[in-house]
Amino acid sequence: MNGEIQPMMMVVVALIVFGIGLFGLLIRKNLLIMLMCIELMLNSVNLCFVAFSKMHQSVLGDLTVLFVMTVAAAESAVGLGLVIAMFRTLKSVDTDQIQILRD
Amino acid sequence: MNLSYLILLPLFGFLINGVLYLRSTRNSKKVSAELSGGIATVAMLLSFAAALYNFFLLRQLPAEGQLFDQMLFPWFKLAGMSVDFTLRLDPLSSVFCLVITGVGSLIHLYSIGYMHHDAAPAKYFAYLNLFCFMMLNLVLGATMPHVFFGWEGVGLASYLLIGYWYHDPEKVGAGMKAFVMNRIGDIGFLVAMFIAYKFVGSLDFIQIANTPLNPEMTTTLGLLVFFACTGKSAQIPLFTWLPDAMAGPTPVSALIHAATMVTSGIYLLARMHTTIEASATTLSVIAAVGACTAFISAVIACAQTDIKKILAYSTVSQLGFMFVACGVGFTIAGVFHVMTHAFFKALMFLGAGSVIHALHEEQDVFKMGGLRKKLPITFWTFVAGWAAILGLPPFSGFFSKDEILIQSLQSPHGSMPLFLVMMAAAFLTAFYMTRLLVLVFLSPSRMGQGVEKSVHESPLVMTLPLMVLGVASVVGGWFGLPIHEAHVEEAAGSSGRFIMLASVALALVAAFIAYKKYGKTTKVEQVNDIAREGFKIDAFYLSFFGNGTKNVARWMGNLIEQQVIQRMIRWTVAIVDLSGNLLKVAQVGSSQAYLMMMFLAIFAVLAWFLFGVGQYAKF
Amino acid sequence: MLNFENTMTLANESLNVFMVVPLALCILSFLIPKGLQRAYAIAGAIFFFALSCYEVSQGLGGQTLPWLSQFGIQLGFRLDSVSKWFVVLTGLVTFIAVYLKGNWYRKSPRIFVASSFFMAFALNAAFLSTNLITFYIAYEAVFVPIIFMVGIWGTQTKAASVFKFFLMSFLGSIMMLVSMFYLIYLYQSQTGQYSAQIFDLVQVSKSIAPERLCLAFFGFFLAFAIKVPLVPFHGWVRDAYVNAPMPATIYMSGILSKLGVFGFIRFVLPIFWDQAIQYHGILVTVAAISVLYAALLAIQSKNPRELLSYSSISHLGFVMLGIFSLTSGGVGAAVLLSVAHTLASVVLFMLLHFMSERKEDLTLDRFHGLAPRFPMLFVAFFIAVLASVSLPGTVNFVGEFLVLSFSYPVSALCTVLSSIGVILGTVYMFKFYQYLGFGSPNPKTGAESVAKDIGVFEISILIFMLGLIIYLGFQPAVILRGFSS
Repeated sequence: MNGEIQPMMMVVVALIVFGIGLFGLLIRKNLLIMLMCIELMLNSVNLCFVAFSKMHQSVLGDLTVLFVMTVAAAESAVGLGLVIAMFRTLKSVDTDQIQILRD
Repeated sequence: MNLSYLILLPLFGFLINGVLYLRSTRNSKKVSAELSGGIATVAMLLSFAAALYNFFLLRQLPAEGQLFDQMLFPWFKLAGMSVDFTLRLDPLSSVFCLVITGVGSLIHLYSIGYMHHDAAPAKYFAYLNLFCFMMLNLVLGATMPHVFFGWEGVGLASYLLIGYWYHDPEKVGAGMKAFVMNRIGDIGFLVAMFIAYKFVGSLDFIQIANTPLNPEMTTTLGLLVFFACTGKSAQIPLFTWLPDAMAGPTPVSALIHAATMVTSGIYLLARMHTTIEASATTLSVIAAVGACTAFISAVIACAQTDIKKILAYSTVSQLGFMFVACGVGFTIAGVFHVMTHAFFKALMFLGAGSVIHALHEEQDVFKMGGLRKKLPITFWTFVAGWAAILGLPPFSGFFSKDEILIQSLQSPHGSMPLFLVMMAAAFLTAFYMTRLLVLVFLSPSRMGQGVEKSVHESPLVMTLPLMVLGVASVVGGWFGLPIHEAHVEEAAGSSGRFIMLASVALALVAAFIAYKKYGKTTKVEQVNDIAREGFKIDAFYLSFFGNGTKNVARWMGNLIEQQVIQRMIRWTVAIVDLSGNLLKVAQVGSSQAYLMMMFLAIFAVLAWFLFGVGQYAKF
Repeated sequence: MLNFENTMTLANESLNVFMVVPLALCILSFLIPKGLQRAYAIAGAIFFFALSCYEVSQGLGGQTLPWLSQFGIQLGFRLDSVSKWFVVLTGLVTFIAVYLKGNWYRKSPRIFVASSFFMAFALNAAFLSTNLITFYIAYEAVFVPIIFMVGIWGTQTKAASVFKFFLMSFLGSIMMLVSMFYLIYLYQSQTGQYSAQIFDLVQVSKSIAPERLCLAFFGFFLAFAIKVPLVPFHGWVRDAYVNAPMPATIYMSGILSKLGVFGFIRFVLPIFWDQAIQYHGILVTVAAISVLYAALLAIQSKNPRELLSYSSISHLGFVMLGIFSLTSGGVGAAVLLSVAHTLASVVLFMLLHFMSERKEDLTLDRFHGLAPRFPMLFVAFFIAVLASVSLPGTVNFVGEFLVLSFSYPVSALCTVLSSIGVILGTVYMFKFYQYLGFGSPNPKTGAESVAKDIGVFEISILIFMLGLIIYLGFQPAVILRGFSS
């Protein structure tokens, strides 16, 4: 054990980060924070990819991470844009206020 | 021989006048009665010439093969049913063609004078030509659907002309009544066609006549055809429309409701006489209905005060005579009476029209009187018609009517009761006709002062047809003389001659009584008995069938439609609503709640597969 | 009996124009500015109608394109002597529907024009499909534009009527869908392959015990009986016809009802021949009841549109009587009468629209005296009424006469009862005409005297339609020729 990070440890961290993201997504009411939580979940998945890539000695996982990060950047840009647009029209980013689909 | 001109000329007249009328509605310039009437009359006269020409051509053919078919175009053909648009000229249709075009042209001519002041004469003449076109189709059609085409077409033209002055809801109603009652009869025609198709396999009259059917079907077919005739020819039970049909212009009453359309029932029976005469039941029903109609409507006619209504009931009664002729299996006498009746009844209607015209639309006979001097031509021609309908020799009615009376006793299907009823009807006929003549022309005048001054004889276009028809009423019967004499000779001379004498004597007695009773009438008579209202038969139909249908319809609309059908739908809607409401609970609206559900579902699925929860669940 | 072999070797193979053209017109309509929508729609509809006529005149044909072959879904289309008339009618009805002026050209006209052409697309797809799946998809797609039309331009109670219409139609469709899958399943269990082609399913239905198909038969029957509609499945008709905007009403009475008729001819009779014979008595009785019941409802009705909607049901009862006579003659007559009914009812609804454009109140409880003010309109109206009461000389007479002639040998009583519907038809149609046209005009309403009679373009359309009615009345062979063998 020469201080090298075990893949299993990385997976555990990823699980914890994913849990934080999920928990935040479910309980926070602010859309912006929810968006950040989604990013957290996404990054935990990336972490998993890296871990499994290391575990299997394959470069495919690392490669996928690069793709995912690219898409995630685009996705968060769109998400932020949507949140801003919603804030403009509805004057709020609180999910309790935004229930227009219900009626 | 080409028959298409015969029917196409009135059609062209109809189209030209129709277009003229429609154009006049757009540039609001009235088409004069002379122009439109001239077109229509010329069309009819040419058609009459064609009919005459074809009549003589037909006469030249050998006696056995006096039949000419002209196929115009195939009509419809489907799975064994094939019907062509074929015109067929034989002696029967030839006679009818002559009557229709001949009397028709005269009435067209008369209408030019009568409709002179009307707002849209082009429309009137278009309808009149349409009627003649349809009527010619009716008598020339070689197949049942072709006759039905004309049959419905004349009904339509009659509807249009009865309700010609459509501003008056009452007249519109009269037209509607005529059309609907005709259509009730048409059910008989339609079903007869279905039966003919099913059992004969063809709708051509010759095929139908040549194919023997089983007795029940023959009777059914005959009775259905007869039912159709009761509608068109105003017999019991469907006769009440004809008196109301007098709402139309008087020339229309003369043409459609006296001379031609109402006799199409006789035409149809004559056309199908093989089928009719093959069943004794059919014959006796026809004779009984004809006799009852002849008698009852003669009674009603005695109580009428409207000049046109008297003539209308008289027409119904005379049609009854014709049906009796058919009913005793002696169709030719019926057809002969159709011809003579067309002459004298058209004459009387036109005479009545002349009177009404002179008196500014006055129709009550008790407000007339003493018109003999003022309307001499009308009077003398009317007298010719009167003598004809009374059956005085040598006027035309004498020949045809006496033949029917003789046959009602002496034919194998005739009987004493039938004969007595017919004699009574003939007696009543003489009575009400003399009453009419006396009240209008001979008795002291009961007209208002203003009316009396302005009374004048009608112009020549109106009196000329009167004179022609007057002559025809005298000589019309002579055409049938050869047949007549042959049959009278055959009918065991003495009793036949006795009946002849008796009927003439009876008519004279009735005329004398009527003259005595009404000759000195000076004041307006108020009759209010049941006979005047046509024994309330019409009121009964109205309340029973008319309102009955309406009530059933309303009941259906309110009860079945609203309470059953719509309620069923409402229940279905309620079920859908309920299930929707139940499922709605899950739709709380908060996005985080949805997310929660989503993840719970994902965990559940994961649990199912990863941790083997599924193996404990048993389905 | 009815010939439905797989005759894909017929000449005409360009059937996709029937669907591609309206779809293209539908998409194009979004590019046209609002003000030009009506002109575009009329021109497009005329083009489409002319093209349909031309294509139909090129002869019958069939076409199969592979699609999801492993599930038996091919794109099968077939133009035969039944469907060709419905395709032509689709073109004609589309033209009339987009021709009418109204608030649909003021409020979001694009959606209206696009819906109309989409409707034509879906109808043609349904009429030409030989494949149950594509037929079903097209059959359901017809709802979409109707719901748009009623929902956007309908009267106040439109929501309820749309809901009723949708619910009932959908109920039937679902039944049909289930029955359809059952048939496909039967085919699969017999041959090991999937197919939804009508020809294959007909083969299956012949080789199977009739009892096993009873439920499937009722599924199909219910779907089409609601569509036609037959009494007692007619509950949606009155509300839908009265509350819909006029083009939608014209679509519904002119051609949507024929979709049901077509379904009976194309699917129910060939597949469920044995069941149809078995339940023949019930079917004929239902048709006769439709005729009489709807006619009585029409008599008591005071609203002209309601009256026409009931009269539609009554006439379609005759059509169904012809189909249920289960003879090739009866079916041919039913097709002829369908064409006749479409022509007459479209003209009547169109004229009613012209009248209500000119006068608000057309209640049938008093005389309105409109005939002298709009003579041309009322001449056309009268001829249309005559066609509707099937007077000889109109194609409606030939159709009705042939239907009754062919149903008489099969069921005399029902035929005679239906003939009574002819009298009732005369009563309500003439009442309808007289109340509107006859009597003295009411002098009080001065504003209406401004309204003019119909113009030249309207007259030429009417002459075309009424001329067709009369021409076919004397030359019905044009249509009947395909059924003579």
